[in-house]
Amino acid sequence: MSDALASPAAALPVPPGRVLARGATVLLVMGLAALPFAVQGSWIYALGITFANAVAVLSVSVLVRYGGEVSIGHGFFAAVGAYTVAIMEQRLGVSLLVSLPVGVALGVVSGIAFAWPSRNISGIYLAVSTMALALALPELINNAASFTGGYQGLYVAEPLVPGLSMSLQRYYVPLAALVLVALALGQFRRSRQGMAMLLVRTHPAAADAFGTPRVWARVAVMGISCGVAALAGCVLAFASSTVSPSGFTLWTSIFFLVGSVVSVYGLSLPRALVGGAFLTLVPQLLSASGAWIPVMYGVALLAVILAGHFLPRLSARIRRQGGTA
Amino acid sequence: MSLASIAPASVTPAGTNPAPALTGQGVALAFGGIKVLQGLDVTFRAGEITGLIGPNGAGKTSLFNCLTGAYRPTGGTIHYGTAPLDGLSPAERARKGIVRSFQTVALCPDLTVAENVMMGLARDYRAGWASAFLPLARGRRERAAMMDGAMAALTTLGLERTASAYPGALPPGTQRLVEIARAIAGKPSVLLLDEPAAGLNTAETRELTRALRRLAAPDLVMVVVEHDMDLVMSICDRITVLNFGTIVASGAPDAIRRDPDVQRIYLGTEDD
Ligand SMILES: Nc1ncnc2c1ncn2[C@@H]1O[C@H](COP(=O)(O)OP(=O)(O)OP(=O)(O)O)[C@@H](O)[C@H]1O
Ligand SMILES: [Mg+2]
Repeated sequence: MSDALASPAAALPVPPGRVLARGATVLLVMGLAALPFAVQGSWIYALGITFANAVAVLSVSVLVRYGGEVSIGHGFFAAVGAYTVAIMEQRLGVSLLVSLPVGVALGVVSGIAFAWPSRNISGIYLAVSTMALALALPELINNAASFTGGYQGLYVAEPLVPGLSMSLQRYYVPLAALVLVALALGQFRRSRQGMAMLLVRTHPAAADAFGTPRVWARVAVMGISCGVAALAGCVLAFASSTVSPSGFTLWTSIFFLVGSVVSVYGLSLPRALVGGAFLTLVPQLLSASGAWIPVMYGVALLAVILAGHFLPRLSARIRRQGGTA
Repeated sequence: MSLASIAPASVTPAGTNPAPALTGQGVALAFGGIKVLQGLDVTFRAGEITGLIGPNGAGKTSLFNCLTGAYRPTGGTIHYGTAPLDGLSPAERARKGIVRSFQTVALCPDLTVAENVMMGLARDYRAGWASAFLPLARGRRERAAMMDGAMAALTTLGLERTASAYPGALPPGTQRLVEIARAIAGKPSVLLLDEPAAGLNTAETRELTRALRRLAAPDLVMVVVEHDMDLVMSICDRITVLNFGTIVASGAPDAIRRDPDVQRIYLGTEDD
């Protein structure tokens, strides 16, 4: 610490706004930690799911912020984590303590495995190819029914901390995951790798010229984002106590993206919470309405998101072409 | 370093200079049918500041792009010292210390000025993924060291007070100086500056001129593309003139100033 203080830039003042925001976040987390002692069980359950969804929202926001790309397939990587937890519990009888690191590692590996062949496509093309993953997912799960339990799915009931009430664990484990992911992402923003990715996103040629290949950045950001998505899947399985294909449809992926947009691609804990709350509540409200309304709603949201994301770049390109004429 | 800034670098006899030069033989580049570079033979010597001038569209930026690997030349070879660079990617060339600034400022708006300049040093650091996500001492030390390097480069150009600002909040001239700070931060062995003075006011240009002179060192290859003839004539030991992708003339500033071809195609078009 003392050597950091000795450097001139470390002495630069932290803006007061950021200090205030940090204090507010600490208060929020303390409030959330105390909440189970104040409210009822069903709320505790819904909030646990909300925290897990907030982590999923962060996974998409990381990709948008650091990679400049949109995914409509992050449900796939969440499913990798969720099914790792469920299958390892069923086959090996192990808890999250063992299965969560494995799930995250598999998420990172599958993210990289997807990123490498798709490293040269971007924008709407990449988004659509991630969508293919999400579309294929329920079929994959059902085809491996002997492992995944098919339509029925699997239960997740092994406690992380033996002896502590399971309903409290289903609240605190996702909360802890959310806090840790938000902290880790805060750290990442200041890291060499994080800064390099931001430069690649805005000026790939400049990043190349200073030693950061754009392919590295793409593969790395997908690895991180998909690892976080898998982590979200792990705690989602734990918080909801089941995994089944109906929890990982195309809509799951679309809602992860929608949640990210609702949180304005924020990487802070409060922003992610907004996205997670949206993700938890809206599908419930919609499932109560008529059959076509959720579909129309989803399509409209997706259209708005894709237009918002790609139209500025598209019109900039058109303007540039017009300018040279 | 201090010696080089006192004695003009061109005093060193070029033939006996042991530091490697950046050379291109027959460098050619074409887009579709358009020949942008028509088989250039160039030598950029260490210890000298070479000016690369020529009218708009002459191919100056394209030559930089070939040297740094951003473009793959359609012909010819490029060496740094005796090592061929042809198969290397831009990032690999950067790790050899070959860096550049961009004609259109290419700073990341999401990074502070100091962080942008830190990216000019990134190639020398190795802290792993664990320190990227966890508050480990190694990552903290790395960031502090990079920050020190960035502040040193910013101070060289008189920019230390902008360190914690975001580039978008700065005037265009200052942004360009930040871009140059990023290029010089990593102690490059080859420094290619593409119109470093474009958009600078007189005071900023004077600051830049001083900084470039101070930067010149016996083992540094420095090439400056510039339209500001006063700057070029005052800092360059040697000037190469490019037109339509061919070299029209190459030599000392005085010889270039007197060269009739150069006067016709280039200096004549300047209205000063
Ligand atoms: N990527 C590209 N695709 C097609 N043509 C290109 C490309 N890059 C450069 N050119 C062409 O190559 C020629 C030389 O361009 P270049 O940018 O190297 O010129 P320059 O000497 O740097 O000019 P200026 O002083 O205006 O910066 C121009 O005719 C330009 O249109
Ligand atoms: Mg140019």
